[in-house]
Amino acid sequence: MNDVAPTRFKWVGTRPIRPDGVPKVTGRAMYGADFATAGTLYGKIIRSPHAHARIRSINTSKAEALPGVKAIVTAKDFPDQKFEYQGPERVQQNFWHMTRNVMAREKALYEGHAVAAVAAINKSVAEEAAALIDIDYEVLPHVIDVDEAMKPDAPLLFEDQITRGVEPAPTKPSNVAKRVEFKIGDLDAGFAEAEIVVEKEFKTAAVHQAYIEPHACAARFDHDGKADIWSSSQGHFVVRALTAKLLEMPVGNVHVTPAEIGGGFGGKTIVYLEPVATLLAKKSGRPVKIVMSRDEVFKASGPTSGSSMRVKIGVKKDGAITAAEGEFKFQAGAFPGSPVMNACLCAFAPYNIPNQHTVGYDVVCNRPKSAAYRAPGSPISAFAVESVLDILAKKVGMDPLQLRLKNAARPGTPMIFGPKLAHGGYAETLEALVNHPAYKTPLGPNQGRGVASGYWFNGGGESSASVQVNEDGTVIVATGSPDIGGSRASMALMAAETLGIDYHQIRSIVADTSSVGYTHVTGGSRVTFATGMAIVEASKKVVDELRARAAMIWDVDVEGVIWEDGQAKPASSNVGDFAPLSFKELAAKKALTGGPITAAASVNAGGMAPGFSTQFCDVEVDPETGKVTILRFVAAQDVGKAIHPSYVEGQIQGGVVQGIGWALNEEYIYDKQGRLDNPGFLDYRVPVASDMPMIEPILVEVPNPAHPYGAKGVGEVNIVPPMAAIANAIDSAIRRRLTELPMSPPKIRAALDMGQADD
Amino acid sequence: MAAARVVFTAGFSRRYTGGVREFEVDAKNLRGVIKEMDRLYPGLGEHLEEETTVAIDGAIHETAYFQPIREGCEIFFIPKLEGG
Repeated sequence: MNDVAPTRFKWVGTRPIRPDGVPKVTGRAMYGADFATAGTLYGKIIRSPHAHARIRSINTSKAEALPGVKAIVTAKDFPDQKFEYQGPERVQQNFWHMTRNVMAREKALYEGHAVAAVAAINKSVAEEAAALIDIDYEVLPHVIDVDEAMKPDAPLLFEDQITRGVEPAPTKPSNVAKRVEFKIGDLDAGFAEAEIVVEKEFKTAAVHQAYIEPHACAARFDHDGKADIWSSSQGHFVVRALTAKLLEMPVGNVHVTPAEIGGGFGGKTIVYLEPVATLLAKKSGRPVKIVMSRDEVFKASGPTSGSSMRVKIGVKKDGAITAAEGEFKFQAGAFPGSPVMNACLCAFAPYNIPNQHTVGYDVVCNRPKSAAYRAPGSPISAFAVESVLDILAKKVGMDPLQLRLKNAARPGTPMIFGPKLAHGGYAETLEALVNHPAYKTPLGPNQGRGVASGYWFNGGGESSASVQVNEDGTVIVATGSPDIGGSRASMALMAAETLGIDYHQIRSIVADTSSVGYTHVTGGSRVTFATGMAIVEASKKVVDELRARAAMIWDVDVEGVIWEDGQAKPASSNVGDFAPLSFKELAAKKALTGGPITAAASVNAGGMAPGFSTQFCDVEVDPETGKVTILRFVAAQDVGKAIHPSYVEGQIQGGVVQGIGWALNEEYIYDKQGRLDNPGFLDYRVPVASDMPMIEPILVEVPNPAHPYGAKGVGEVNIVPPMAAIANAIDSAIRRRLTELPMSPPKIRAALDMGQADD
Repeated sequence: MAAARVVFTAGFSRRYTGGVREFEVDAKNLRGVIKEMDRLYPGLGEHLEEETTVAIDGAIHETAYFQPIREGCEIFFIPKLEGG
């Protein structure tokens, strides 16, 4: 554990006990499935058993006649949406697609695609009703793999889909929804200048976010047209917006209360169940609760994309990179919208490369629609790029950290998307590892060490917060950010620092959509940065109000009152000889001095700084079984200023663990009919504690000047390097370059059986 | 008012400005920049507001009217981003 002692701050940078700990470990935290009210119906989704099928008809009459069935909905109960891409490019939403993902309309596009839903008095009636719904499918050829889906003769998911981003527009439809391209410099000239060029192809598997808590929600619809939703999500305001849009309701008629969340990692930034439960509630007149099973989570909620990639990088013999090129083909799942653009933008971002070119393809296939997963897109392209860099480092005979240090992006480095990098932090992560005592420790037979780096943008944007001073001097801080990574603690720490009071006097909560201003999702590593700004702004307003109250008590101008160490004090002896008034004393006089002391603030936070991470790991490969054991993992990350260092370390460790699973074991395995073979944690193997060594996080603190306490986003970039770091370590151990994820024992054995090194 | 250099990505400029990627714009804040671009290419302002993030001298911000413009700064409109 790093000792990041606070230097200037009293509370920021300390490690108080997490406020969500007691309810979670005592089982009292209220998760999405825990909501209960009298008369709640059991909601069940009926899902397609086919990977690709036209829905000829759905007959619900037998099910509707079953006693205990209160409502059944199909796509015809949902208003259809206009076919139109709306919003920003990376996160464009086409509600024509979204409503079809929530409930299949013309076709079922993946096994597990929702086709109908029933609300009944209990589970057994709901299941009996589901079996009575007669769905006539015309089974169609399907396509799972991204390279197969791009072939001209591939089965088409959408017979009229013309690839966007290609000029002139293609005349024939395809599964390629979109092509994106970015470039700087002169690629041909850059490669002509290179003395060593390496080009490799890579594939990665689709992997699920594997949050422990399945999707769950409850909904009630009242006679006045107003709906209440309780759900576990990464953004209850987004749940509100999407549900309202899909059901054509005014946003103000949808009230969403956030539940405690048992993991999201990006996968809970969208809706699956909420519009369905709301519609069932409307039709039945009763509250309806729907909870996904683990099987449904795997089959019907978004994993991140699998991919097929080609990366080519050229260097001089001194290790200077002269040119880099990447082609990235991403599975979008059944509807367009993979994170391939992010992959194109992040792939070479840690490096100062004058000539770069990336092309990305967003490709639909008969899998569940991909969803965001921790730094979406960046870990995938980094696997390819950082693997090629390792090959180059070995070819030029340079230490891989030194090769990266030589080419490190620094403030002023041109980025492939146009601007120059404004923030430092990357080189510092490299230097932290260069100087790490374990980096030079010798390794044994079949052991190897690997290095990789990663970049992520980090987010800002709209957030709201309020601060209420109670009559005894305790404080409530409320935000609209669901707490998935310790934000309640970090919000309270920033409020305590700004107000100058004890952290333990503050209760930090996540407020519902009617009790705090609009707040964008907890995603993009944005909350500590953006919502933190709102907390600091609201706290400053409270300080100003407390100064005004003290001025009233002392009968002086407010300019004559300063706020210091949580007390109002005279600005100078000229103001008068007054004993300081404490926060608690001022709170007690709230009625006399003007009433409750509260403040709210909303921000559209800008100036977010990107995150950089560099990691090294030591592995041991069992040549007989192909099993890879992680012996050591050290992860350095630029975190700006760690508001609550223990949580930041937890974020780093969590990202690395997920990366290890992605690297070694996790994958969606389909049978010949396009049905998922491993929709459960017995067969979809995530790492468990006994697989892991201690993951050592190193907090590199290069503060962000745009944030009042220097915070940068910390939640995502840590998952970017692990896959390549492990591949590079395996290559060092056994001289075999693994280019396909997961690097599971059969693939290691196959590589060893090849008999010779392949770099 | 301050003179700023405005730059679009190749894809964005192909779609909306006939391939022209760079502009000199006088404005005191981002609202002024968007307004001027909309004057040059009617309808472009809405696309900038809806589809982009802005980098001002490399520091990335949400595209919002209040962002101040400094003399000589570089403004890149880039595709909006979102994480997990």
